[in-house]
Amino acid sequence: MFANTLFLLSAVLTLAGAVLVVYSQNLMHACIYLLASLFGVAGLYACIGADFLAATQLVVYAGGVIILMLFAIMLTGGTGNRTNKYGLEKIPAMGNKKTFMIAAFAAIVSALIVIKVTIPVFQNNKNLIVAANAPTVERIGTLLATDHILAFEISSVMLLGALIGAAVISRPRKEIHD
Amino acid sequence: MISLGAYLGISFILFICGIMVMIARKNIIAILLGIELILNASALNFAAYTKFVNGNLEGHIMALFIIITAAAESAVGLGIVIRFFQLRESIHIDDASTLQN
Repeated sequence: MFANTLFLLSAVLTLAGAVLVVYSQNLMHACIYLLASLFGVAGLYACIGADFLAATQLVVYAGGVIILMLFAIMLTGGTGNRTNKYGLEKIPAMGNKKTFMIAAFAAIVSALIVIKVTIPVFQNNKNLIVAANAPTVERIGTLLATDHILAFEISSVMLLGALIGAAVISRPRKEIHD
Repeated sequence: MISLGAYLGISFILFICGIMVMIARKNIIAILLGIELILNASALNFAAYTKFVNGNLEGHIMALFIIITAAAESAVGLGIVIRFFQLRESIHIDDASTLQN
């Protein structure tokens, strides 16, 4: 009962957040709706017993990525400078109607492809194994330190490279005056 | 109620919303928001298959690596966006057209 309620709330939060990211005019509001959607995904992880994954989702996305995106929106003018010096809209929230039609067409094509791929899943899912929920932190730690140690190390080096790369790319360059 | 079909449906709608954000938006940061939605959809699929199909934890490991990759991609992407704003005074996607000539 509790799991069903949590699942329903998380699903509604996820789907409403994702749809509002598409239809929100204000970019700052879209970022906050994305935060709501990511909270819903964390709740969906918790419903299927992925406790470590839910915690990681909350810490990394809500604590890191969304805050980073909000800072980037504010550093690049936010929603303030909507018009340039000619009075035209500088950063429109959405494209025009033609762009939106192309987006809808691409969504329909992707939907057809995904439906085509997932039809066999629903046809032969008679013998599904549903394991009981157990704490996964210890097993994930063991797997990361034994079977997936190479991917773990490579991802740590990739994070260091991304950190240094982001700092190098976005640093202000001093122009030579004298 | 909690079934593989429900999780695949939710992940499917997340993916479609991400595709629409990526194509219809004209702001580079909004396109990055769409990429985050798509990566979340794939990670949710991995976790759902771990629960309902095979039972081992490989899907959780894969979802963890997807989250790590999304964090790195977001950091580098936002660095590029801020540098682009310093150069062009705009983050409209149509202003990034130097390579088209």
